[in-house]
Amino acid sequence: MSDVLLVAGVAPQPGILATAVRRLRESGARVHLVGAVDPDELAEDLQLDGLCALPADIAKDTPTRVAARQVPGERVWSRIRREPWAREHARSADVLVALDAHAIYTVWRFAQRNRAADARYGIQAAVQALVERKGRPSTGPLRRLTNGIPSTTAVKQSVNRLINAAPRAAVNAVTARPIMRSKAGTQLWLTAVKAPKVPDSLRTKVGHQVAKGMAWADRPDGEALILTATASKLRKPTARARILGEAASRELKAGMPPRDLAGAVNALLKVADQRHRADENAAAADLLNRAMTLAFDRVLHIDQLTSPLAEDPEGFIAPFRRSLAATTVASPRGRRQPAAPPPTDRPLRLLIATSANDNFLKLIRSYYDAHPRVEVRFVDLAANAALKSVTWASKPMLEHRLSADTTPYGEKAEERLRPYLDWADTVFVDWCVAPAALFTMVDPGTTRVIVRLHSYEALSRWPYMVDFSRIDDLVFVADHIKDLTTTLVPYLKGPDGPRMHVLDNAMNLRGFQIDKPADARFQLGMVGISQVAKDPRWAIQVLRLLRERDDRYRMLLVGGDMNPDVSVASREYLEAFNRDVRELEATGAVRRLGATDDVPKMLSDIGVIISSSVREGCHCGLMEGAASGAVPVVRDWPFFAGKPNSARTLYPEGWVIGSPEEAVERILRTTATEEAWRTTGREASTYALREWDWSVVQHHFDRLLLDDPRSESRRRE
Amino acid sequence: MTQSLDVSTSSSNGRPAAAGRGRRPHLIYLAIGFPPAAKSCAYRMRETANQFRRIGWDVTVVTIAAASWERDSGLDYSLLEQVDPEIRVVELPLAREDLETDIRRFSEERALRPAKWLTNLRKREKKIFPEPVFGSWRGTLEQAVLDVHRQRPANLLLASCVPYVNLAAAWKLWETQGVPYAVDFRDGWSIDVVNGGQAFTPDSEAGTWERRILDHCQSLWVVNDPIADHYRERYPHVADRVHVVRNGYDKDSVPMIRPRRPDPEAGLTFGYLGTVNYTTHQLRVVLDAWREARKREPLLRNARFEIRGHIGAGANREANGLTELIREAADDGVSFGGPVRKAEVAETYGRWDALVLILIGGRYVTSGKVYEYMATGLPIVSVHEVDHDASRVLDGHPLWTGACGLDELRLVDSFRDAARMVVEATDEQRAGVRDHADPFTRETLMQKAVEQLAAHALAAPGDLPVNGAAVHPSDEPSTINETERAGGVRA
Repeated sequence: MSDVLLVAGVAPQPGILATAVRRLRESGARVHLVGAVDPDELAEDLQLDGLCALPADIAKDTPTRVAARQVPGERVWSRIRREPWAREHARSADVLVALDAHAIYTVWRFAQRNRAADARYGIQAAVQALVERKGRPSTGPLRRLTNGIPSTTAVKQSVNRLINAAPRAAVNAVTARPIMRSKAGTQLWLTAVKAPKVPDSLRTKVGHQVAKGMAWADRPDGEALILTATASKLRKPTARARILGEAASRELKAGMPPRDLAGAVNALLKVADQRHRADENAAAADLLNRAMTLAFDRVLHIDQLTSPLAEDPEGFIAPFRRSLAATTVASPRGRRQPAAPPPTDRPLRLLIATSANDNFLKLIRSYYDAHPRVEVRFVDLAANAALKSVTWASKPMLEHRLSADTTPYGEKAEERLRPYLDWADTVFVDWCVAPAALFTMVDPGTTRVIVRLHSYEALSRWPYMVDFSRIDDLVFVADHIKDLTTTLVPYLKGPDGPRMHVLDNAMNLRGFQIDKPADARFQLGMVGISQVAKDPRWAIQVLRLLRERDDRYRMLLVGGDMNPDVSVASREYLEAFNRDVRELEATGAVRRLGATDDVPKMLSDIGVIISSSVREGCHCGLMEGAASGAVPVVRDWPFFAGKPNSARTLYPEGWVIGSPEEAVERILRTTATEEAWRTTGREASTYALREWDWSVVQHHFDRLLLDDPRSESRRRE
Repeated sequence: MTQSLDVSTSSSNGRPAAAGRGRRPHLIYLAIGFPPAAKSCAYRMRETANQFRRIGWDVTVVTIAAASWERDSGLDYSLLEQVDPEIRVVELPLAREDLETDIRRFSEERALRPAKWLTNLRKREKKIFPEPVFGSWRGTLEQAVLDVHRQRPANLLLASCVPYVNLAAAWKLWETQGVPYAVDFRDGWSIDVVNGGQAFTPDSEAGTWERRILDHCQSLWVVNDPIADHYRERYPHVADRVHVVRNGYDKDSVPMIRPRRPDPEAGLTFGYLGTVNYTTHQLRVVLDAWREARKREPLLRNARFEIRGHIGAGANREANGLTELIREAADDGVSFGGPVRKAEVAETYGRWDALVLILIGGRYVTSGKVYEYMATGLPIVSVHEVDHDASRVLDGHPLWTGACGLDELRLVDSFRDAARMVVEATDEQRAGVRDHADPFTRETLMQKAVEQLAAHALAAPGDLPVNGAAVHPSDEPSTINETERAGGVRA
């Protein structure tokens, strides 16, 4: 019987591993595994003869500086070689198998020592090796003895590795962690990177090296400090702008707002303008892209409870309005021909486009699929490789705009979109992000273009990359989002701007009407807690205050947790939230139900539905809760509070409150008796169904899509 | 290979005439993927070579060593059973270095940085010939055709691509020895058949090669009209040499007996046979739709969905995200049964009640599988773009559910429709479908294409191209009308 040692550099998919082990065992082998494994994911029927499970991130983990420099294959080898079990099994294995690319180097190194073993990459190759071994005479004891002696090549290579590593070790010594963490060390390096009469290239190199040291010492602030200091002494504006951009980028990556975001953005825009004037548009696009990436980073606007853009839209956007490159990108191209009216002799050809996110389209699609006056096609730009590659291509898009719409990228976009535009009478693009920018990069011919902007897009870079002059109708889900967007993009308010509409999201609210048990009266609930903007900590504060008055109140949280890997800011919020609810969860006062497909069922147990968000477009979860007969309690979303339109104008009077204390009062008042609670809930449900149910909203969509917009304009006149 | 007979040729159909002026005409056929390679192109290559033999040509196939396919798509020796024994096969010691799985053959650099090594390899390959995977085969291929020609002078070289590096060998023989050549592009080079649009610009290195090759080629074969149109538009001066030679199907691959009696109680069986080369997204949509259809459709309650064919190559063979998805769908009656030997294809179809046609790409992709599927007479569920060449082939097929792209809701309906077709289709309907497929037998299609090419190659010597001279189109009467009716070769 042969022994096979499988080596995993990344955790193998359970099914693939189970199949591999089964096939090898069927070929008459004992199978052992070492490497990255997620023990919870292993198939129950996995029949391994030996396992040395290591953390799933061994290819990424950088516990030492040496590891940080290494490529993934080297890290896997460094980790696995430390395991006596692995070394022993590698010495005696007949076949060594790398399960993935990061495991190849480990197998290669093992094979230098066990020279009688076959070394293969992939399962099919391993099975083949086993079959071939059966046809070969077995190795004798003397041969086995020599297996443990490394080859001369292996010895020589190890020495070379040592010699080559030496200079870097010296650099590491002067940027060691303790030095970088100390005040004196930081000061020393700040002075060094600003030393006079140093060429730009050397200063940049040293600056980067020291910044790496800071990163290694877990000091992103120090990293930014060093880079900013380096930039201050650089003579070339482009190099200076790039380093300032890097400094801000490091801070954003660490989840913190940069200390000098405006400085970095202004510097980048300035050199972008210079390059654009010199007709160097690829470089200009790169610099403008960097400026936009920094200014609209999610850490600033999405993962925080506030946003500088929402607080001061005009001030925040001013540098872009002053920039030649940015204004060139945003300048309207217009369309050569007006959109044709909907056809009268055949069904309207409606193309619905999105990129990956079709959450708010399902009802619209199924309705128009069955509509006799409409022929629907749907395109998910993320699911089509040809379209995906041109959709989220910010830099080529910018370059195209800067180059007066003459780049190969633009030709490619034209070539790939044209068949869709030729077919469609109307294109409905959901989400005003990259797909909207893409569809407005090309002249739509006589096809009518409708774009729907939900909410977060207003806080992104895309409104500055979409050509609104090629959009016929811009749809918002609420007035306050329309207000914010028109402030950010004044063109929209001008005479050539698109027609603007506010249409509620498509929701089938009738399906939410389920009888609630009496004890739901004390059950608060939230639907959707996966983003910082939902601010569930605010809701928990309401619960705490409420329980101080009456401990019968509990809370159900429906939906998955926020993803801590999205940004450091998200991770920090999640950690704080987890601390907030730990005790409440232990007593059963808070229950997290996770993601579900059956929201109506979850809502049947919720008597009070809370919207604690800092910003929303319309908050579907709240509307569904209201439709279910839960008492709505809506925080006056801080992003829009006090503005002409806000949560207070979207929802009926009484639903919206200004503080946790006011929320407590409303809840106590409306749930004082079962009758009061049911009455308030019933009223909320009636309102929700009357205003927001698809049976009502569908007529608004019909008017938008099927009526001749010219007659609509005339009517308005 | 037998000794040549004394024959000359007639210029009307490429058949050797009875006169004894010389030896039989000789074809060098660059066909990397020739049996026993278990590749989809193997059938087309086998039929091409056999057809040349049938009309009296000597045929030397140049391909790579059988062992090299072990690490690629595998081997199927049953494919050799129908190769004319008189065909001479020259196997070159070439293999794809990137698919090597013996780590002992790896340099330390490759073991340490496999991705970087691969990038560098691609760069090196492209320096030799503008094709990232096979460029380094150029020298060996060029030498091979020169050697074959020296041993036995050739009248024609036919290069089947991929790999496109075959073109360098064709050019070498033409440039140095004046041997005319034809190209079977199948899917076309300068067109991105999967995503649409051009694969490279006319002024790129590949563009220069393609133009040079097409300027002087006797004939260019492609598999469908959209690709032919692309070439006719891109190179108007060779438009009359561009021919559509559809893939067709092998008669022995489809069950000759009546399909089995469907038994919904025991469970209907849907099948997919072919290379599993689509994305996990596409497969996930199929499996989700299948799952939903089983829930909704009583006829599908116990249904099974068998997937057969090759998945992955090299180290990823039968071990990638696609196999994982299939395994996860086991509770929904989905299974993967591995590749099917050519000799067992008919039997496999005979066990199924309906077929699932999953294809990548759009209007430029036909696939050979669609013809075979059509000829089985079984209902077909299509999972591909609406504007796909397969849609054109299947248009009018009474047991076809139609194409709806990757629209999951509509796919659910397609599966349900197919289930109903399985139980409701009459024998007459099934027979009608097979009749519809009859003109698409590979033998019929290839016979005409080969006769036309052979006739042209053996036309009056004065018309044959010589170094640098333009190709004179043949004055032979065109077979367009006849072949168009048969759905086959078109000029």
